[in-house]
Amino acid sequence: MALLKVENLSVGYKSKKGMVNAVNNISFSIEQGRSLGFVGESGCGKTTIGMTLMGLLPENASILKGDIIFNGNNLASFNDEKWRAFRGKEISMIFQAAMNALNPVIRVDEQIAEVIQIHNPAMSKSDVSNQVKKIFSLVEIPEDRLRDFPHQYSGGMKQRAIIAMALACAPKLIIADEPTTALDVIVQDQILKEIKKIQKALNTSVIFISHDIAVVADVCKDICVMYGGHIVEKGTREEVFKSPRHPYTKTLLGSYLTLDSYEDINVPEIREAPDLITMTGGCRFSANCNCKSQKCQCQTPEWVNLSSTHQALCFEELLNKDKND
Amino acid sequence: MTEEQNIQTPIIELNGVTKEYSSKKNFLSKGETNIIALNNISLAIQKKEIFGLVGQSGSGKTTIGRLLVKLEEPTKGIIKLNGKPTNKLKGKALKHYRSKVQMIFQDPYQSLNPHLSIAETIIEPLVVNKIGNALTRRDKVLETLEIAGLSPGEDFFHRYPHQLSGGQRQRVAVARAIILDPDFIVADEPTSMLDATIAIQLFQLLLDIRKKFKMTFLFITHNLAAARYLCDRIAVIHNGVIVETGSADKVIKDPQHPYTKKLILAQPGFNFKN
Repeated sequence: MALLKVENLSVGYKSKKGMVNAVNNISFSIEQGRSLGFVGESGCGKTTIGMTLMGLLPENASILKGDIIFNGNNLASFNDEKWRAFRGKEISMIFQAAMNALNPVIRVDEQIAEVIQIHNPAMSKSDVSNQVKKIFSLVEIPEDRLRDFPHQYSGGMKQRAIIAMALACAPKLIIADEPTTALDVIVQDQILKEIKKIQKALNTSVIFISHDIAVVADVCKDICVMYGGHIVEKGTREEVFKSPRHPYTKTLLGSYLTLDSYEDINVPEIREAPDLITMTGGCRFSANCNCKSQKCQCQTPEWVNLSSTHQALCFEELLNKDKND
Repeated sequence: MTEEQNIQTPIIELNGVTKEYSSKKNFLSKGETNIIALNNISLAIQKKEIFGLVGQSGSGKTTIGRLLVKLEEPTKGIIKLNGKPTNKLKGKALKHYRSKVQMIFQDPYQSLNPHLSIAETIIEPLVVNKIGNALTRRDKVLETLEIAGLSPGEDFFHRYPHQLSGGQRQRVAVARAIILDPDFIVADEPTSMLDATIAIQLFQLLLDIRKKFKMTFLFITHNLAAARYLCDRIAVIHNGVIVETGSADKVIKDPQHPYTKKLILAQPGFNFKN
């Protein structure tokens, strides 16, 4: 059985202009020990998914429909009290800006110990401190830096401390929301290796959210590509990145600079962000898509199975037409 | 680079530039410790060139940018603009220098004043330098907006930064940088906050501006792939020292210094090995 199964989830934000459908009817699942990556641009809803899975949606947001089944519990129906016991223990999160996620006036080891104490009130003080030391050695922070304050850490070390905090209670699932965005390439490389190593060692499941597709490709075996609140393509990383089929995935990959790809880069037209308030029912990418088909603007596209693991949200004839070009 | 360009005076020249920051005495630490942010940096940037400065956080790449726009003075060494030394400029000369060297900052969410409309933001350099009158300024702003890809200009004229996306804000920053027709622009990680599809559009804009105005750029980044796409030459900087300089192609295809090799290895790509 899958560790986490999300079915037909929609999340909306109330605004003056109406309900903003940030996440629309998405389904995915993740097995124990696997890694799933969400890629997409700013505003595509990937962080909203992470916040929903952590029960951290702001007050103006709500789950409109759908189920989130985690280990037999439906998280969509959890109240605050249940969330508090659950969050950090079963599912934890590595946040984007490590510099803001640590409390500047509390020593780092105390911040990690706090997580353990809250979820295991019966644990003795020395056991807690042993556990903290164990986790710090796992993320390779030297023991003599345990009693430091966050400002004494470099950016990479802060991110390691955040990872340590996420690991404190040995959760079954870790959500990493842009964990390396603020770091430079060398530190980013170290942190990604760290995450992969820990995931293997503890057999934790990881949901990795990033706008940087190469980073997601590095960490995750399975990929979901998001656009305008929809998942538009999913599959293994080889399928999605080596033979992308959805027009948006192609645009995204075609504009991504790597050291090898710099010569055949496609510069996309200046594009409009998708309107998440008015629901036309059509494909949200249709305004920016090259296919220019009338059908896309009024009919909802459906999932096309390309292999047992590879699917795209588009019209079959358009996918095939594109292939023949 | 052609022969002809080699003989020309470089637009910008750094000659043995060293920058030290002293951490001031306080009651906890006795005595002064100097941090050497840049150590004996020499480089020359030719007209119409996009010169890339690549390095990781703390390597000193932003300090070079700050020295060039005269937010700081070097401790030692000379910076020349069009062959003329610019150390310790004051008053009118400094104002003139700043109109000739512009900067595009990293974070378009912080580099634009939220209280100023787009028009006011872009017009400000003209007002400060007393160029034109109200009417010609308006035309100039509209024209510059179009060049920066904010078209039609009238649509953006009265908007405020919060009404624009990250990519559009960065285009406003570009418009503000080019409106005085400077000799040289320092672009400090202008796309690190932007998505890949938007970043590539901004790179295209910078290339267009170079072509149209024969503009010279210093492009500061930690992204080697971006540097290769955009730059003619690259300098790799590590701990305040330039460890390798060369054409973008050569530095990336055939890196000599171990640090450059390390940077290239750390660059994320799509080779699924694990």
